[in-house]
Amino acid sequence: MARQPTTSYLDITGEHFRMNSEEVRKARTTHWYARTEWGIAVLTYEDSSFLLKHPQLTQGSAKWPAQHGVVGGRFDTWWQKTLLVLEGDEHNRIRRLVNPAFSARQIEPMHDRFRSLADELIDDWIDHGQTEFASRFAAPYATRILCMMLGIAEHDWKKIHELAATIGLGLGVTIKQNIASIDDAVVELTRYAQSLVQSRRESPRSDILSTLVATRDADAGKLSDEELVNLVILLIFAGIDTTRNQLALSIDSFSRQPDQWEKLAADPDRYATKAVEEALRVNPIGRWISREAAETFQHRERTIEKGSTVHLFTLISATDPAEFGNPDRIDLDAERSPHFAFGGGIHHCLGHFVARADIGVALSAMATRMTDLRIGEGAEWLPDSGNTGAVTLPITFAQRH
Amino acid sequence: MKIVVDQEKCQNHGLCAISAPANFALDTDGKLQYHESFNEENIDDIEDAVDSCPLQAITLSRDAA
Repeated sequence: MARQPTTSYLDITGEHFRMNSEEVRKARTTHWYARTEWGIAVLTYEDSSFLLKHPQLTQGSAKWPAQHGVVGGRFDTWWQKTLLVLEGDEHNRIRRLVNPAFSARQIEPMHDRFRSLADELIDDWIDHGQTEFASRFAAPYATRILCMMLGIAEHDWKKIHELAATIGLGLGVTIKQNIASIDDAVVELTRYAQSLVQSRRESPRSDILSTLVATRDADAGKLSDEELVNLVILLIFAGIDTTRNQLALSIDSFSRQPDQWEKLAADPDRYATKAVEEALRVNPIGRWISREAAETFQHRERTIEKGSTVHLFTLISATDPAEFGNPDRIDLDAERSPHFAFGGGIHHCLGHFVARADIGVALSAMATRMTDLRIGEGAEWLPDSGNTGAVTLPITFAQRH
Repeated sequence: MKIVVDQEKCQNHGLCAISAPANFALDTDGKLQYHESFNEENIDDIEDAVDSCPLQAITLSRDAA
């Protein structure tokens, strides 16, 4: 009989599961994967890097609403056509068309506006020595940047934030009980996106939405109006919560390493990029990336059956001591291998240049204006499921002069 | 001009192969294969491939014939 490897079982379904726990770290020392309620969880850096881009592993999220008994409503209809879940030629065609709008060179000219917004928000509470970071910085900053990029009037940000959060419930395990309000939010956002597209068509501006409208109009038939509107909804839905939560996670990590915070403050031009990468590596919002096997295939000694789920544990692969020295510490001077917080393969996050830029600007702005950063009493975190983040994050600090 | 890929940076995500399939492809092992030289008429696709690389590992060099 073949010798069976010793694999751990991780209960990832409970609200007490923590990716950054001794249990998961111990599992990583034992074997390259662990078993879970929903397929295997890949723990090592080497195997994550390989499997993330494996041609037999598809994104596989199309079935999500149906798995929870939600079929055919407005959310489900939209979801089935989002870039996030499309596969094959249809995905590639749209992705190829929209990539240029999100390139580094499109984002670079916006840095000054990101910085002005960050400073404006910080001005509101910097004199108090404390604030509630999630609502007083992270949410307005993430949402208003998205508004800025799409050319939505920024005073509408609270409404946009609310709609994005409601559609976000569609990815929660409570989708079925919330589906009426989720469907309504999709309808409202569809109407809003249609009017935005119409207004940019009549009078183009220098925003991403105008670029996307031009892509559709210059290449007749390449990106349909429906595809364009679907995309705008996806950008609003996917672009806000990610940045908002990643900001809180980054602040939490830096508050525990004041030496690195001071290093960033002393030379933000040099360290901002690395600060973002290190924060994403040790404390990513996306705790795991899910893939589904399109065919049965073999990886090492394990047969991965067609239709089964493979989770790639981002935080744990990016702190694998086999790949990283002193892996759990943010080290702004270390040369690190790439992490997988933005996923990978052809589904690699479309908005990663935006996220990298706006988080880098926010961290620089905060570090240059605040020292002695600490997490205050009463911080409340979401469960450590696929995505995580702060519900409330009180912080205290001293103003830097 | 010719295409140069920094093999140290490249993580084989394959977005370049979506933008410019005439010059970039992932082989059956998932590794990037590419042609250094390209047709001038494909320059827009090549530039999109350069821009779309998450690692910014692709550059165009003027040195080559």
